[in-house]
Amino acid sequence: MSDPSLIASDFFSLLARHHVSPLRAAVSPDAPVQTQATTVFAFHFADGVLMGGDRRATAGNIIVTDRVDKVLELDATSLLAIAGVPATAFEMARVLETSFEYYRRSQLQSLSLPAKVRALARLLRENLPMTMQGVGVVMPLFAGVDLTVSPPEPQIYFYDPLGAQFHAVGYAASGSGATTIRSLLSFQDRYGRPRPTQMNLQQAVQFALRLLMTASEFDSATGGVNPEAHTFATIKVLRSSGVEDITADRQAELLKS
Amino acid sequence: MTEEPYRWLEAIGNRREYVREQLKGGSPVFAAPSPEGILLLGVGTGHSKVFELFDRHSLAGLGHPADIEKIRQAAIDAAHLEAFNRAPEDVSLRRLVAFGLSPQLKTNFEQIFSAPFLVELLLAEVAVEPGQDLIARLHFDGAFQLHGKGVVVAASQPEAELAAQTWLNQSLGPAGKAERSEVVEILLQGWWCLTENKPFDAGLPSEAERRDGWRKAANGRNVEVGWLARKGSRRARYEELTLAQLGL
Repeated sequence: MSDPSLIASDFFSLLARHHVSPLRAAVSPDAPVQTQATTVFAFHFADGVLMGGDRRATAGNIIVTDRVDKVLELDATSLLAIAGVPATAFEMARVLETSFEYYRRSQLQSLSLPAKVRALARLLRENLPMTMQGVGVVMPLFAGVDLTVSPPEPQIYFYDPLGAQFHAVGYAASGSGATTIRSLLSFQDRYGRPRPTQMNLQQAVQFALRLLMTASEFDSATGGVNPEAHTFATIKVLRSSGVEDITADRQAELLKS
Repeated sequence: MTEEPYRWLEAIGNRREYVREQLKGGSPVFAAPSPEGILLLGVGTGHSKVFELFDRHSLAGLGHPADIEKIRQAAIDAAHLEAFNRAPEDVSLRRLVAFGLSPQLKTNFEQIFSAPFLVELLLAEVAVEPGQDLIARLHFDGAFQLHGKGVVVAASQPEAELAAQTWLNQSLGPAGKAERSEVVEILLQGWWCLTENKPFDAGLPSEAERRDGWRKAANGRNVEVGWLARKGSRRARYEELTLAQLGL
């Protein structure tokens, strides 16, 4: 790609100028067993977009932790859900978070949704050498608010590991449990009463938790949800007005009621 | 010229005079700490005077818009690089001013063949506890003072600035007022007195005159209020407030 230092008010360019770009490291042929983070999903419901994920990270057959937050708030109108290698994914999230805020503060306006979507695609493309070698593969989901329509609408995007971006009309899922979750979302979207887009917050949260419970029955890398052990998911809701974090206590309360 | 020390001193003196002359008539800016956060205020005629810098940091300034812009951009670049390379918690106003902006301004001021920065600035950092807030008063020549409490004013004339600051601190009390609208009301009274060259001693206009005065003077101008909240669910604590939001 061309010299990134040519792009004005772009945080990646600022990083490159100071030689601190974090995602351009050389790859060792003797890569260790990678830690993987799965499973994440997003769907439209009546209030906006719900983005959720289990909290498990694995390395081979080892459970590294059951306390990972895979749904991250990048700014007041953007969410990122990470599936894949956390080392790369968290770094991408950090770059994007700083980049969006840097642009907003320096230019006194927010970055547009298409520009945010492309910024993530650009990071995935820059990660191509790692992806091609089978290490550092990331397949994220992105949700942002489209401010060019009235009223503003939250949108969902998903990516392939090479950086291709796709607009998800109703829902998207990524990670090892994604097959189960996509099947359930597809079923509910076609035959469900209510359909995901008709669900209120309580119904959407209950549905999200049950998606993870089901996915964890078929995929050992998906952490699942265990109300008895107070183990819940990471769930954030994106509305046109901003982001709301649905805490574990709130999830417990919504699941019971 | 630089080979002759006395001519260099003369040139620096002339430069100082030139900058002060250029800044005359600049609309003063204010930073007022309170139990809930720090409020910054400026009144402009089109160009912004109050800005967000980083999560817990903001800037207010008077002077040439292009010069304020250069300083603002330098501060934003430095803060974001520091946050990215270390952590957002490592961005500190003291380091930003003392090791970043102040040396740059001093160097520029002493390079007598280049144009000086026409700026007078306030930078604020809100902390977890009210007693740890920091406000920096940064001058065009790189000199700066750090204030741990009380209202800080940046105006073009040092004597008037000090008089206004003393009066505002007496009016708002040592801990600052909790009600933001009350703080803004008093700051705007101070702004009016400063811009109208009213004395802050026994000849200070009555409260009714001051209230009426700022409303008339601010009519058709842009009153900018920036608020750095001490607590919040998001990392970015800066928010722009309107007079309507404050009930003024």
